[in-house]
Amino acid sequence: MIQFNNLSFGYSRKRLLYKNLTLSIENGSIYGLLGKNGAGKSTLLKNMVGTLFPLEGTISINGKEPKSRKPSFLQTIYYIAEDVFVPPVTIKQYERLFAPFYPLFNKESFYKYLLELEVSIDGKLNKLSFGQQKKFVIAFALACNTEVLLMDEPTNGLDIPSKAQFRKLIASVMNEDRIIFMSTHQIRDLENMIDKVMIVDDGNLLLHSSITTIAEKLCFKTVTSPPIGVKVLYTEKMLRGTSVVIENINGEDSALNLEHLFNGVTENPAMAKQLFPLN
Amino acid sequence: MNDTFNLTRFSLLLKKTVLERPVQLIGLMGLILCFTLILYSLVLYSIDYGSAQNISFIWGFIGGGTVLASFVFGYFNTNAGGSAYLTLPASALEKWLCSVLIAGIFFLVIFLSFYRVMDYIFVTAYHKGLDHTSPLYQRLYDHVYLYPLYQNNVVNKVYIIWANCAGVMLIGSLYFNRVAIVKVSLLVCVVLGCIYFLNLAVASALFSNIDVAFPFYTVLIKVRSEVGVIQLPQRAYQMSDIFINYILPATLWITAYIRLREKEI
Repeated sequence: MIQFNNLSFGYSRKRLLYKNLTLSIENGSIYGLLGKNGAGKSTLLKNMVGTLFPLEGTISINGKEPKSRKPSFLQTIYYIAEDVFVPPVTIKQYERLFAPFYPLFNKESFYKYLLELEVSIDGKLNKLSFGQQKKFVIAFALACNTEVLLMDEPTNGLDIPSKAQFRKLIASVMNEDRIIFMSTHQIRDLENMIDKVMIVDDGNLLLHSSITTIAEKLCFKTVTSPPIGVKVLYTEKMLRGTSVVIENINGEDSALNLEHLFNGVTENPAMAKQLFPLN
Repeated sequence: MNDTFNLTRFSLLLKKTVLERPVQLIGLMGLILCFTLILYSLVLYSIDYGSAQNISFIWGFIGGGTVLASFVFGYFNTNAGGSAYLTLPASALEKWLCSVLIAGIFFLVIFLSFYRVMDYIFVTAYHKGLDHTSPLYQRLYDHVYLYPLYQNNVVNKVYIIWANCAGVMLIGSLYFNRVAIVKVSLLVCVVLGCIYFLNLAVASALFSNIDVAFPFYTVLIKVRSEVGVIQLPQRAYQMSDIFINYILPATLWITAYIRLREKEI
């Protein structure tokens, strides 16, 4: 479990990015952290892994404090940054040098994931394309079997088949003890993969809810004209009518559109907080 | 689990540190040794043995050691590189010790061993090339000798300057993420310039005809062509010595550890 207690963070004390953020993240969920560029997604992840320190408040991950960066904590968490760092070694050398630091690393799974993601095993890692390097890092991170997996824009640089393969892999490695946390602004990549959504904008947490709750409370559909008498979170004119996100007062089933949800929540945060109260 | 130091984990970290970028690390060490060899040869060719030994040792040891020290924490050029380093499951003490071992102990042992072998080859070649029957043989033979790496005033000063420069570079590479060596060198030059002029101002206020006032040993008075040295009182001299030889380098190297613990990226 990840617990934020009154977390305040800013690159300067005068301009705080997050102020008094309090929230709990439960095990056994795949979280999608959505936000615009510069909204503070990466900052939040870095605070969670301990490469940035809160100015005030605390973060606790399974009872451990990230800031101290103790080996016993770092063994249980893996962070994939948006850009990729790979040393000039082969995959086998990398596995021999880095895997011993992670006690739950599974070599068989690692090579299986590489195969599934179609990463070439020969040659040095720094000679691979950006997409191949990214897939390699994802395969290694998954094979480490850490309790918490944080990924910053994991689908950046992946081609379309790799994105599908990535979704399958994430689903296959998920279990009820794990937390997988992905930040992205490419919302469509996370559809059908995540079961909890967090939306941040300008350092504020606007939404923290499960997909099930969102589907219960909101209805996503295309209509000829915007409905009257219901709360409308978002409207967008399309070729075949108007796409709307409205309050689901009739208990209708509809397919979640993350992009429209995101636009609705960022444009209309007050209504979003009314529908999905935080804490 | 011991979160401060674990020998197995430290061995893994050391192995990883050396083998993950062997070309850079071993290549840089090779480059330093080559530079020293070339410098020795060039100065030997243009001046003589004593100068070749002094100049190559000073520049090879201080210059090479400083460059290597700027490299050992060189993970922070990119966000991903820095994050990967900081989140690797090893303690800050182990990561710091690993860098100290490479920039301090390994460099010291490899450089001094190489220097001794190189110097031995040059000196032996010189001695063998002498004419045994010449009346000047003994004098010429004694003129060139193996460079003493211990109890040698120049070498002792070089060790101290290296310990301070490498310490500054270790800290600097944890403050500046990109081109740390250039930024730290500029900063050191500015600081040394400020110290010099401050010392000159203080010395000029106390004495007239001050010529040079570099702290703490080189404060000179020049009257016409005569130059005199202003010496610190014995106790102050000893304290300066202890500060520069031990306290300052120890503080710098330990500060690098504290900075590593607090490093954010």
